[in-house]
Amino acid sequence: MADEQKPEGPVPSAPEGQGTPPAAPPKPAAAAHAPPKPPPEMAATAWEGDLPNQIRERFGDQVSACSTYLGQNFVAVKADAAVPLIEFLKLEADFDYLVDVTAVDYPKRAERFDLFYLLYSFARNERLRVKTMIADGAKPATAVSVHAGANWLEREVFDMFGIQFEGHPDMRRILMPEEWEGFPLRKDYGILKQDDRWVRENLGIESGQ
Amino acid sequence: MGKLFRTVFLVDLLQGLWVTFRNQNPKFIYTEQYPAERPKVAERYRGAPRLNIKPDNGETLCIACNLCALACPETLIVVGSERNEATRRKELTEFTYDTSRCMFCGLCEDACPVDALELTQDFEMASYTREGAIWDRQMLEEGPKPTQYRN
Amino acid sequence: MAETTFLDSTELVLNMGPQHPSTHGVLRVILKLDGEKVNGTECVIGYLHRGVEKIGENRTYQQFAPYVDRMDYVAAVSNGLGYCLAVEKLLNVEAPPRAQVARVILTELNRIASHLLWLGTHALDIGAITPVFYCFREREEVLKIFENYCGARLTTHAFRIGGLLYELYDGFEQEVKTFCDMFIPKVDEYEELLTNNRIWVNRLKGVGLLSAEECKEYGVTGPVLRAAGVKWDLRKAQPYSGYEQYDFEIPTRTNGDTYDRYMVRMEEMRQSIRIIRQAVDKIPTGPIMGKVGKVVKPPVGEAYVSIEAPKGELGYFIVSDNSTQPYRVRVRPPSFVNLQALDRMVRGGLVADVVAIIGTLDIVLGEVDR
Repeated sequence: MADEQKPEGPVPSAPEGQGTPPAAPPKPAAAAHAPPKPPPEMAATAWEGDLPNQIRERFGDQVSACSTYLGQNFVAVKADAAVPLIEFLKLEADFDYLVDVTAVDYPKRAERFDLFYLLYSFARNERLRVKTMIADGAKPATAVSVHAGANWLEREVFDMFGIQFEGHPDMRRILMPEEWEGFPLRKDYGILKQDDRWVRENLGIESGQ
Repeated sequence: MGKLFRTVFLVDLLQGLWVTFRNQNPKFIYTEQYPAERPKVAERYRGAPRLNIKPDNGETLCIACNLCALACPETLIVVGSERNEATRRKELTEFTYDTSRCMFCGLCEDACPVDALELTQDFEMASYTREGAIWDRQMLEEGPKPTQYRN
Repeated sequence: MAETTFLDSTELVLNMGPQHPSTHGVLRVILKLDGEKVNGTECVIGYLHRGVEKIGENRTYQQFAPYVDRMDYVAAVSNGLGYCLAVEKLLNVEAPPRAQVARVILTELNRIASHLLWLGTHALDIGAITPVFYCFREREEVLKIFENYCGARLTTHAFRIGGLLYELYDGFEQEVKTFCDMFIPKVDEYEELLTNNRIWVNRLKGVGLLSAEECKEYGVTGPVLRAAGVKWDLRKAQPYSGYEQYDFEIPTRTNGDTYDRYMVRMEEMRQSIRIIRQAVDKIPTGPIMGKVGKVVKPPVGEAYVSIEAPKGELGYFIVSDNSTQPYRVRVRPPSFVNLQALDRMVRGGLVADVVAIIGTLDIVLGEVDR
């Protein structure tokens, strides 16, 4: 029902088979742990300008990189600094519109999730991504106090990845049923036969997959 | 004053009704009397799949290259082939197409290098059973035969 | 303790949907009512959740393109454009000029089709039955053009990564021009039916107010934001697919109520026709497909590309790991984010206005739930 997938036949590629190395921001620490053949990394270049300088000045070593890729700027910060940075950007740099909150799962990494905040500034007509890495089970702070619109977006991230946001007013599932088990967009969540139990218990029939 | 006039004489209502009555002209009839009157679908319409055959000898055009099966997002095409030792070519043995899962995106016909698989203008593909929606090679070559209704 | 009187009332909880004609799909709104007054709402969504983002991780870049049409199914062409632009951004290629102009024409036609569907159903919710037939009649003409162009009416799969698959058919320009000439008087006709209609005005004026600040706070985009007075349209702010070549206005209003959103969308349809007319006159010749291979493998990286869909900002955030399948596809659906502001808009209003406000948000549940 909710997890409508291919009933049978060859699956192009199981999610487990996709454990290709993550597209981490260029960080010397990551390179040290790299296997003999270093994983391909995003060819991002440093982002120079007033705003990145301001951010670096304000947040110091909590900012790991201000980079740009394909003309899109992003700031990688430590998890604790993400929401203060968004607040700073909103109040002092006019980034007053939170476009999206989303996450990406890298199961082989110690800090498993990349959490993204996509920001836009009407006044500057500029976009900015705030990117932070968090471990499984870590509870990042919510951005609802800064942007009210983060409410549903963070709920969706929780629903799909199981990332609990600290201080969120209503941390429940939003798209999946309340009693659903597992977090669908994690890479270790298979695409077949996930709804068997839920369908049996709630609908009283056998899953049709 | 103007507002009062409009209110008393129901000008807005009459204006609206005039639009409605203007559209009562029988030449503005858009309803199609299907199935008595068959709709004409576009030339590029993506409907029922067909496996083309050579018109002269009835041999299939398909070279069993399996590209359509690889291109299909729903992996609903199964191509069975066998190597013919005499001609040293792969020959098509069976071809299954599950129309119940098909979303008619057209990626299989794009992938076909010899124009053997094609999405045609036939759109009546209903079946009484689930199995009836899974088309084998014979069905794909002959195409669906819907009942024709007449007035 | 005060004595209870018959006038005391407890809060009444009323379920609206998921099967309700005016929720435009399977939206369930739990209304907390005090008599006719709405004290609060809670949206229950997810009935149409198909896991599009998960499907995207298990398909190649080309194979995923038909699925995006099934999110906002009344504006499938816009969805396809956004996805193609996002993958093209990752690949660092651009569609050839002929393809770009054709894309603009089809996307604008789709905007008209989407707005027509909105107008028809919104008017039907309010109680005007005639507009729905007229709107669907004109929408049919747009769908015919889509059918002639790419072979499908609704889930078109019209664009491919790198350009177009189908060459424009003979008589395309003429057909589009005929539609443009036919359509402008029709918009006036809808306005004749509705704009000064007293029932329409009374039902819509001052209902569902959302100020510009609140829009920004909730991330609400599209006509809702423009009706609140913010002159912001991605086609102008960050032009894509050659929108900078066309001369058009961004219609705005100032009140930010349901009536203003209606006016903004009506004007947007006229502006779309204006863009189509300019584009149809200058379709360049040349190739329609850029240099994109049969197998697409974007370099490792991430990109966010958004377009102005009929409902607001539609964004695609794609993370690539240099394989044939996206590592992660995130869709930023305008309907989902806009729906979040429903609570703010209906709180304190009347229960009958909830219908008008859901209608004016122009949500498509396929996109809300994905």
